[in-house]
Parts: sequence; C-alpha cells; structure tokens
Amino acid sequence: MDKVMSDKRMIALYVIPSLLLILAIIYLPIVLTGYYGLMEWDGISKMTFIGLDNYATLLQDEKFWSSVNHSLLFAVLSAVFLIVYMAVALVLAGRIRGANLFRKIYLIPMLLSSVAIAQLWLKIYHPTTGILNDLLASLGFKNTPEWLADPSVVLGALFVPILWQYAGFYILIYYAAFKNIPGSLVEAARIDGASSLQIALRIKVPLIAEVIKVTIVLAVVGSLKYFDLIYVMTDGGPNGASEVMASYMYHKAFRGFDFGYGSAIGFFLLLICLVATWGIRKLTATKDSIQYS
Amino acid sequence: MRSKTLAACTLILALILIVSACGSSSNNKNAAKSSNEATNSSPEKSESSGDSQAQAEKITLKMMHLWPDGSNSAQNTVIKQIIEEYQTANPNVTISTEVLDTEQYKNKLKVLSASNDLPDVGFTWAAGFMEPYVKGSMFTSLDDLLQGDLKDKFVAGTTDGYAFNGTTYALPVELNIVPVYYNKEIFAQNNLQPPQTLDDLKNIINTLNGKGITPITLGAKDAWTASFWYMYLADRIGGKDLLDQAVASNTFTDPALIEAAKQAQELVNMKAFVKGFNGLSNDEAKSEFMNEKAAMYAMGTWEVPNYTTNPDVPQEFKDKIGYFKFPTVTGGKGDLSDWVGGVGVGLFVSEKSKYKEEAKKFVSFFVQKWGEHSVTDAGIIPATKVDTAAVKLPQMFIDLLNELNTAKKVTLYVDVQMKPVASEEHHNLVQALFGKAVTPEEFAQKQEDVLKAGK
Amino acid sequence: MITANKALNYRTDRTSRKIGGRIGYGILYTVLVLAAAVQLLPLVWLLFFSLKNSQEVFNLPPFALPSKLHWENYESVWSQSNISRYFMNSVWITLVSVVLTILLASFVTFAITRMRWKLRSFVLGLFMVGLMIPVHSTLIPLFNLFQKLHLTDSQVSLILSYTAFNLPITIMILLGFYYALPKEVEEAALMDGCSVNRIFFQIVLPMTASVIVTAGIINMIYNWNEFIFVNTFISSDHLKTLTVGVQNFVGQYTTNWGAVGATLMISIMPILLAFFLLSNRIVEGIAAGSVKG
Repeated sequence: MDKVMSDKRMIALYVIPSLLLILAIIYLPIVLTGYYGLMEWDGISKMTFIGLDNYATLLQDEKFWSSVNHSLLFAVLSAVFLIVYMAVALVLAGRIRGANLFRKIYLIPMLLSSVAIAQLWLKIYHPTTGILNDLLASLGFKNTPEWLADPSVVLGALFVPILWQYAGFYILIYYAAFKNIPGSLVEAARIDGASSLQIALRIKVPLIAEVIKVTIVLAVVGSLKYFDLIYVMTDGGPNGASEVMASYMYHKAFRGFDFGYGSAIGFFLLLICLVATWGIRKLTATKDSIQYS
Repeated sequence: MRSKTLAACTLILALILIVSACGSSSNNKNAAKSSNEATNSSPEKSESSGDSQAQAEKITLKMMHLWPDGSNSAQNTVIKQIIEEYQTANPNVTISTEVLDTEQYKNKLKVLSASNDLPDVGFTWAAGFMEPYVKGSMFTSLDDLLQGDLKDKFVAGTTDGYAFNGTTYALPVELNIVPVYYNKEIFAQNNLQPPQTLDDLKNIINTLNGKGITPITLGAKDAWTASFWYMYLADRIGGKDLLDQAVASNTFTDPALIEAAKQAQELVNMKAFVKGFNGLSNDEAKSEFMNEKAAMYAMGTWEVPNYTTNPDVPQEFKDKIGYFKFPTVTGGKGDLSDWVGGVGVGLFVSEKSKYKEEAKKFVSFFVQKWGEHSVTDAGIIPATKVDTAAVKLPQMFIDLLNELNTAKKVTLYVDVQMKPVASEEHHNLVQALFGKAVTPEEFAQKQEDVLKAGK
Repeated sequence: MITANKALNYRTDRTSRKIGGRIGYGILYTVLVLAAAVQLLPLVWLLFFSLKNSQEVFNLPPFALPSKLHWENYESVWSQSNISRYFMNSVWITLVSVVLTILLASFVTFAITRMRWKLRSFVLGLFMVGLMIPVHSTLIPLFNLFQKLHLTDSQVSLILSYTAFNLPITIMILLGFYYALPKEVEEAALMDGCSVNRIFFQIVLPMTASVIVTAGIINMIYNWNEFIFVNTFISSDHLKTLTVGVQNFVGQYTTNWGAVGATLMISIMPILLAFFLLSNRIVEGIAAGSVKG
C-alpha cells in the first residue's frame, strides 16, 4: 500500500508539469525582480549594479513605510472580517430557506470587474451628488465628509468596497467547506442534544480548520499585494494618503521610470508576504493537524 | 482500466504540449521570416542605391497609438483614414496598428522598450517623459524630416519639447493651451464679468459662493489639472520665464513660486474649488461643468469640441460656454497673453526599426495629413500651421487659434518638463498643497529637493 | 475527532432554545436580506447605467431610470466591429485556462496530500510563494520570456500565464478540502489493488467535485476580468479579450458613458450565467460524492 502511494514516477507525473509552469512563469519573474532590485535601471537604458542601495533608500523612504502601514492595516482588517464571512456561511449552510439564492447573490460583486466596481463606488462617494452624502445630508449632517479627498478618511473609504467585493469569495469557500462535512457527525451531536451554536463552534468550525488557515493566508497575502480598486479610485492619493505597497511599486516603476527601485519594492513586498504567511502558519499550528508548511 | 486513466493523463499532457507547440510553431514561422528579413537587411548598407529595390519589397510597419475606437473615435477615424491613404499611395507598405488607452499605452511602451521591441512608429509625450527613451537610444533622429519635407510646417517652437542636444526625436501632432472656460449664463445671472485680475476672480468666487454655486470645478485626483492653476499663478506673479528657469536650474525656492503656492491655498480657503476636488477625477470634475453645476473650468483646448462640434452635447449648453484668459495679479510680472499649454503627444520612429526610412516617410505623410484632417474632423489643434481663413471652423476654435498666434509665451506644462520621478512628485505635492497638507514653503522646498535629485 | 466527541457531551435545555431560536431566526433573516440587497445593488445600478445616455448618467440619481430607455447603447456597442470577436476570445481562453488549472492543481494537491514523498511540504511552499508576487513586477520578465519563446502576440501566452498564476490559489483552495476528505475509501481501494490513477480519477476527483466547481468559478472570474496581461502580451486586435473592449470605452475623453455601461453589462452576462448554472453543482457535487463514498 505504501509502495503504490510513494511511486516516484507517479508523483513526478502529477507534480512536474505544474512545477515547470510556475518555475518559468512565476519564479523567473521573482528571481529577475530580485536581480533588478540591485540595479539602477530606468527600464530602458543600460542597468548599473548598485548593490543594496535601493534597499537602503527603501528603509529611509517615509512614503514607502506609510504604504506598508496601509497594507498591513488592510491585511489585519481582511483577516478579522473572515469571522463575519464564516458566520454567514455557517448560517447559509444550515437549513435556512433560500440559502442557495443568498449564496449566489453574495458573490455578485466579485463577478464584476474592478472597472465597474470602481465606477459604482465613485458614484456612492461623490462629495456633492453621491448616495452616501445625500443620505447623511438628509439625516441632518451639515459638513458631509469628502470621502476620497480627505486624507483622514480615504483609507477607510477604500477598504469598504474591497471587503465588500471579496465577501462572496470567502463565503463561497466556507459554504462549500461546511457542506462537505459529513452529515452523520452533525446528526450524532444533535441527537445528543447539542445546540446549533455548539455544533457550529465545537464541530463544524474545527472540522474546517485547514480551510480557515488557507483563507487567512489568502486574505492576508491578497490584501498585502492589493492594487486594483485603489489604483482606479484614488490612485494612491491624495498625496499618498491611500498608497499601498503595490500601488507605490507601480508608481515608482512605471510612472517614475525607476524600475530598479520599483523592483526592490516588489521584492520587499514578497518578503513581507512570506514572513506573514510563516507567522500565520506558526500561530495557527495545532498538534493534531497536519503541518504542511 | 489502468491503461485508460493513464491514457487520459498522457492525453492531457500531450494537449498542453500541443497547445504550446502550436503557438511556438506558428511563431517559428515568424522567427524564420524575421531571420530572413535580417539577412535581407544586412546588405542594406547601400541604402540609397537600393532605394528602388526597397520599394518593391512588401513591408509591414507597426504603429502604436492611444486613441481607441470607443472613447476617442474621432481621432481613431482620422488615423484610419490617413493610414488608408498612405497604403493606397504605397501599395508595398502595410501599416498594422495596436491601440491602447493612455495608461495602458504608457505601460506597454515601457515593457516593449525594456525588451527592445518598440513598434516602428508610435507616440510619445514630450520632454521629461521621453528623455529616458532618448538616452537609451530608443528613438531615431527626425532632423532630416524637419529640414526636408516638414520644413516650416510646424508652429514655431512646437518641436522644442522633443529635442535633446539639438536633435529632434519626435514630431508633435497636438498643440493646446489652457483657457478658463466659463458658463456665460451663470455669470450673467449674477451680474459678473470675466475677471481681469486675480482680485476680480476672488470677488466672483465670493459672489458665487454666496449664491451657493460652485465657482470652479477641478479634478485634482488627476493632479495635473491642479498644476494648471498653480502654473498660472506662478506665471502671473513671477513672469513668463519663471517656471522654465526653475525646472532648468533645479531650484524651486524663488519667492514668486512660494507666493503662487500661497495664492493657491488662498483660493482653496475661499472654497473656490468644488467640494472634495482632491478625490475627483478630471472626468468627474468635467461633468460638474457640463451639467452647469460649476461656473468655471480650466482645461486644455482639447475640450473645445464639447463646446462647439460634439453632436452628443446639447446646442443650448454649447451656446452658454465662453472662455477667458487667466487673470493677472496686481503687481505681478506676468501678462494676460502668457499661456500654459504646449504640445501633447508626438510621433517617434524606433531606432531599432528595420524600416527606418519607410517609417520616417510615413511619419512625414502622417503629420501633414493630420494637419489637414485633425481640426476639421476631430477638433484637435495640430502642431502644424493651420490656415484659419481656408478652413471652416467654429468661432471658439478660430479665437483660440488666434490667441495661439499672438501668444507672448506658452509655458510647457511643468509636469511634462520635469523628469519622471520629479514629475510624479510634483503631482503629489500639488495635491498636498491644494489639500493644505503642506505649507507653501514646504511645497517649494520639497519640489526643489526632488528636482535636485535629478531623476 | 477529539473535538467532535467533546461536543457530544454538551447538552442544553431544548425548550428555551426554541423561543430564542425563533427571534434569532427573524433577526438573522433580516440581516441576510439586507446584505443581499447591498450585494445586488451594483447589478441593478449597472443595468440602469447602461440604459442612460451620458447626460442622464451624471444628472439622474444612480437608481433612477430615464424616461426613455436607451437600448441603442447595446446596439452601438455590439455593432462595434470587434466586440463579438473579443467575446469569443474571452470565452475560449477562460475555458481552456480554467480546465487546465483545475486539472493541474488537482494533480498537485493529490500528490501533496495523499502520496508519500520527502519534498512535498517544500514543493507546496514553492507553489504558495506564487501568490505573493505583485503583477506589475512580472510584466517585463514575462514579456521577455514570451518573446524568446516566440509567444508574444499569441493567446498561448495568456493561457500559460493564467494557469500559472491561478495554480497557487487553486491549490490552496483544494488543499483544505483534501485534508478534510476521509481516507477510508482510498485505503480500501488500495487494499483492492487500485492504481494511483484510478484512485485519483475515479474516487478522489468525483469526491472533490464541489470544491472543483468553487475553484472553477473563482478561476473563471479572475481570467474573465484580467486585462493587464492581455494588453501587455497581445498586440493584434483580433486576439484581444472583452475586458480590453471595456477599457477602450473608458478613455480619457470619454463622452459616451451609456456605452460604457452597456459594455460592462455585456461583459458580465456570460459569467453571471455560468455562475448561476454552475453554482448548483456545488450542492449536487456533494451529494454525488457522498453516495460514492
């Protein structure tokens, strides 16, 4: 039995095609990004090797660190919100009427492209004609916020649509996971008189622990390198108040023609993601679960 | 059973291979073709004598431009028309185009040049944007066109922004200045006249604010629009050469530049600009003006079709729109007929192009034809001279063309003048200035620091 | 299983649960419906948007319909020479990439979770790093790579990139489910002398049908909405995809906003349809899997 499942040829057949693909298409750029990060390069003329100068500059770059802060804040927030999504998925996976329809509706925002979502939220946040300020004005607020222009609120205003956009994704994953739990386990507990809440917290959630770990990693890493809506809605502005790591990298490499520095930021972002993933793995590691990282 | 699943496995793998092989085989043909071309072009040293021979050879020129059919159909149509005319006149030449919207276009240009794969002909922005490309020898000199076919065709000074060390690397197709458009009806209802001085403007702002009308719309999320206001203030206070000199000498601490920053913040304090302007895009800001919710809007002359010829805009709105020159500042050195503006995109020929001569010929043809078509068909003011008497144009166009002809000075947009990093930082700083996140002094100092860094 | 046993020991009073349950149910339902409304709004907004002309887009409130519906927006978009072409390109590129990704990811996940070999956690780590690179870091290296392989301006470059970039997230999603899958069935099959391929294709793959559909939907959404790679690797117009068509409408000098809305509507219709058809399979897949299990 062990022999069959450790047949080297079969393992190779299953793993090597994918491995080759990601080595060429993901690792090559990663290695080159690391390499460019050591260069002074505008992306056009000849590169000059400058060692770790870009990284030295990076450590001193206030704007970079504020973008790191924004990204980290967002990552934490995304991870916290997973609890909400899990609760929703739990409810939907239970015997609630219309669960199937709800689940579908919740995923709709994710189907839209970022271009469409950005247009919608720009309308919602519009300082004079936006739905949100109209609503606030009708409730008697005099000085309605300038959502995307005020450095003190812009970041929060951006997080809302991004969280909203991805809610359906996590709900879908949790939903599928809960549905995958063998019904016999839940039934046995119910016969023994456990409440729904108890069943949820003591049986269902622990049973999908691996899925939860995966979603935490996905949420954190996804947030750390998030780019789309921020780019369309504020472009990191005003004056860098909503700049995140990926948008800062883009601005430096593509707008500022400083591809070496941009690559250094990209590489740093990768390192932060690695550290974060490692940290999450350490924190969530339990004795009885299989360690796979 | 086992063999069946194994077969399925291998089938899938084979599929992957075939798909990739297909792609590479079809491209192998290309590779073969291009190596053929390479061998063909090697004896090309005797270029002048082989000219007649080259004419018979079928060639394809690649061109990239930034006017997609959906959003810029007028320009798109003009380009198609010119290409068609050229292909008819030169049956051996095929011109293939690739179209991307502005932001994507800029990104792709960069990726292509990093891989040495620029199209034969394409568009670039002037000065700071194109400098890295020129330094990296990506563009070829177009001096021979300027001395030959295109001699005296351009409005004086318009090719300067594309010249480095006396060599011109691209030829402009657009020329714009930035007037302040205003809604005549709103002005009339409030007994207002177009301002002559900054104090007049401030009075207008106070009057309109008193009536609950947004005085000026501005989309400073696209920071270059706020830069217009800063530039005009700097020009009117410090005179026509102030900004050019500041960028050229990498110093930004002239008292006039700081005073301009103060005045800009003063306007912000007076609530001159639409609420939340720092979070609005130019498109959103424009719609405030188009929907008559704001009285004034400073924007390039590329907007003029919306006030004259654009069939999508109601005529009654068009009739309400006029423009004025940016008012002077009492005691300032600037003049009413100093303008902010300049050339937009220009055509380059790639240094690596296999058919440089053909490409140049096409560029020359394009620039001339563009001069004929662009104003009348697309409402774009070309950088080549326009005979206002010969073409039938809406009055606002004629007026603005005359302003251009009598302009004392057109200061090229400072963000265009600056090198990429400094330009990017200028955008941030302008947002910070208008958002009152920095003092005028800090604004000037930070701008100087980044200019001094020389990137 | 330890936790499951613990849960069975909890017993509560059933009658008090009933009353509390009913109130809770009502609140729960209200929340679910409200959330669904919020998630559904963008679609309604987009539909209304697509039926307005440019003036109405800006002048009317987002959720008001104009007096005359501008269906011609759709006509003008569809009659644009290339939209139908873009559409077909999007369909086939998305389909091929999704199938390829799911299959390769299933192979890898199976080999990592079910087969025994030394390097499996290392290989899994390799795949996870693939999540962490910002897309803009990859553009120049990948363009270079495809140029060398003569794959620029070929849709193969897109399929390869989509597959490679979606492999990590797909593997992550599958992973949690594979761990939760009971091993008893396979073990029995192994006893009977089944081959690895047979276990994979006839036992494991059907059992993971639900998560495959989940991952497939997510893959589909990503591929369908992607445009940075398309713009970078493809130059011939007839090879481009639908998102590029959308991008082309949202330009600097845009005046035709109604057409933008119509393009967006057209672009999400297929994905919406596919999603509503496929997402039922999540539940069915579970049923099928449990019958065989």
